[in-house]
Amino acid sequence: MASNLAVAIVNGIVWGLIMALIALGLNLIFGLLHIINMAHGALYMLGAVAAWYFIELTGNYWLALAAAPILVGGIGLALERGLLRTIEDKPLVTIICTFGIMLALQQLVLMYFGGTARRIALPVAARFPLFDLQYPAMRVIIAAISVVVMGGLWLFLNKTRYGLWMRGVVQDREMAVALGIPVHKVYMWTFVLGSFLAAFSGVLAAPIVSVDFMMGREILIMAFIIVIVGGLGTLWGSVVTAVMISLIQGVGSIFVVPSTATVFSLGFMILVLLVRPQGLLRAPCSRTRERGPGSSWRSAASSRRWPRSPSSRTFSTRPS
Amino acid sequence: MTEILVWVLFAISFDLIFGYTGLLSFGQALFFGLGGYAVAIPILKLGAGTGTGLLLSVLIPALFAVIVGYFSVKLSGIHFVIITIIFALIGSTLGETWAWLTGGADGLVFTAPPIELGFFQLDPADIKSTYYLVLTVTALSYLFLSRLVRSPLGKVFVAIRENEERARLIGYDVQFHKLLSFVIAGGLSGLAGGLYTVALKYASATFLHWSISGHAVVYAIVGGGGTLIGPVLGAGLIMSLEHYLVNLLQATDLVVGAVLVSMLLFAPRGIIGILQGRRK
Amino acid sequence: MAEGIGSGVILNLAKVSKSFGGLMAVNYVNLSVRKGELRALIGPNGAGKTTLLNLITGIHTATSGKVLFKGEDITRLSPDRISRKGISRTLQVTSLFPGLTVYDNVWAAVQSRKTFFNPFVRAERWADVREKTEAMLELTGLSGKAQTVCSELSYGDQRILEMGIALSTEPDLLLLDEPTAGLSTQESIGLVKRMRALLSGRTILLVEHDMGVVMELSDRITVLHYGEVLAEGSPSEIMESEEVRKVYLGT
Repeated sequence: MASNLAVAIVNGIVWGLIMALIALGLNLIFGLLHIINMAHGALYMLGAVAAWYFIELTGNYWLALAAAPILVGGIGLALERGLLRTIEDKPLVTIICTFGIMLALQQLVLMYFGGTARRIALPVAARFPLFDLQYPAMRVIIAAISVVVMGGLWLFLNKTRYGLWMRGVVQDREMAVALGIPVHKVYMWTFVLGSFLAAFSGVLAAPIVSVDFMMGREILIMAFIIVIVGGLGTLWGSVVTAVMISLIQGVGSIFVVPSTATVFSLGFMILVLLVRPQGLLRAPCSRTRERGPGSSWRSAASSRRWPRSPSSRTFSTRPS
Repeated sequence: MTEILVWVLFAISFDLIFGYTGLLSFGQALFFGLGGYAVAIPILKLGAGTGTGLLLSVLIPALFAVIVGYFSVKLSGIHFVIITIIFALIGSTLGETWAWLTGGADGLVFTAPPIELGFFQLDPADIKSTYYLVLTVTALSYLFLSRLVRSPLGKVFVAIRENEERARLIGYDVQFHKLLSFVIAGGLSGLAGGLYTVALKYASATFLHWSISGHAVVYAIVGGGGTLIGPVLGAGLIMSLEHYLVNLLQATDLVVGAVLVSMLLFAPRGIIGILQGRRK
Repeated sequence: MAEGIGSGVILNLAKVSKSFGGLMAVNYVNLSVRKGELRALIGPNGAGKTTLLNLITGIHTATSGKVLFKGEDITRLSPDRISRKGISRTLQVTSLFPGLTVYDNVWAAVQSRKTFFNPFVRAERWADVREKTEAMLELTGLSGKAQTVCSELSYGDQRILEMGIALSTEPDLLLLDEPTAGLSTQESIGLVKRMRALLSGRTILLVEHDMGVVMELSDRITVLHYGEVLAEGSPSEIMESEEVRKVYLGT
């Protein structure tokens, strides 16, 4: 029992850290572009599939870990430049658009990769004892890599110019434009970074799970849950929530049927959405009205753009 | 052909809530799947008739739509999209778990008993009869919806889509009307699911999966949301495309995805938009 | 200044306050609007004018105090209920149904006063709604543009249309939030001319920055400053008030 529990906890943490990377990518893209990226799970899947091909070619997992995310990042670049750029101010349209991309990517992989699940051998076969069980060292290495990548992301966001720009755009898009931040470039690289993170976690997860064209579908929903519960736009919230939820699910599934645990976590999420739509880990009432009544939600159904009203007040005949 | 008509019904019911009321729901699959079970379970376990089953396939999903909608319409935009996905996910998870009731992912196989309509009989076992049944129901639903969207109530839905705040300020109870639209759409989605199971003689938990809703989204967008004829065209076009492509190359979803994305980019008002543009 | 209902008061705000977090946006405001008058509400930016309108129309709920309309407590009602009680308003940022025609915009508002919706009636069959819609288009001078999609209207026409929509609900009290915002001086003058015809004989609470417009249209003026009522009086009294000059006119 004690060893089962220990394994569940360690597994939960490892899986939580991988999920955190996925959720971070999703959340970054949402925070900046206000796009709910339905294709995010497919990008994760692409990462794992690309890794499988790299390993077939070279036999080296570490090479795949470096190359696959860069490749998928490139695909993200093409998607953003080619498709999303023109519609990025219409959130509902982008949801549907990324849904279409998801369908297409899954089908592409099905065509070339096939419908059967493949496995990737553990690149580090060593095991160490955990109570009375032998635990694969690779999982701990994966967790460590995730932590390093998150650290790198933190440094990037806080110590580099691009990171500063990104945070600026999240805070106040109009102000960022006014300050001369190249917002479109920031959008583009954010999407690339998000795709990179999704693919990277795909490669990390590949030796633990089996690789197939549908592997991203359930992951996408988990990532949504994490991002919403942790707070849309709150990055550290996603990390904490990812680890927490994975731990609860891992440990919980020792005691109850996994599907019961899923239903409860989904129900919990509905509660969060209704009671604290800004997420559990974000201070209430901050920026909740950022997309106020003049937002573009309403124009999503009609393709017409609402003309911007002149906002200058220079004509005011206020006596002085 | 029968299948196309079912998806037409599903697409127009989705269009009521998306195209007219402006709510993007990815949760319609929940009502579609429920509609299927509302036909299959009473027939299989209670010996009910097909007519009763189809009636239930409107009422039960509509009832669920009241509950789901009550919570969902409190949210808007992205949050609404996500909460509808979650409700559908709960549905499909439960559907897969409660296999004693639903048959799980394997589904329930059943034979729909014939419907007695006064002096003639409609036997769902006969492909032709099923076709006419589905055709009639879909046509009637189309008529119902086309009257509805031209009615004062339809004008309220459109007003809410265009500007929720203004609609509220001129005295419309926005949440109530959203819920109403959600429930009508839910009931009709259920009917589509019910017809689908009658036609396939099969109901499954996979019908509950949120990605099934994607079909309706695709048809409505490709055909042109906010018009009823648009989703009909969209469903017809995409379904026939899929039909021919299956034999040609195994790439239906790829083409569907590509068509969807290119429509969004180049013809956001769908086929209808293109046709109307021509006429001008 | 406690006026009873008997003296023709239609709207009565009693000690109304609203705070957002720690910020007092509206502080202990008493305000009475009489039937038939055009009351202007002025004050510097951030004085709480729009917040006050939001409190009256139920977009926000007052932290304390009461809003009485025709003697009835409407403090905690939702915006749609308040609209049905007979208060209508325009917004500072034009708020229309952008994708619909001018005709349908007005129609939606006129129709809102009907209570029963039979889903099988064609909307066009409602002769009374049609008549009222056409009358309002006439009154706003937009008859010729009835079939124009309203996002394609000029900005001035949009402002007039919004007033038309607000009036189509046949309100007993109309709140106007900076109708001339975003217009050039020339356009403002044109708008005010058209407003006169539209607004005569109605009870109006007007928030406005443009002092020219305020002086021309209003019967009485209330000055807000930091969420509090600073002064109230006729236009000439307000212009002469030393206190108002100091804080509001910035001299």
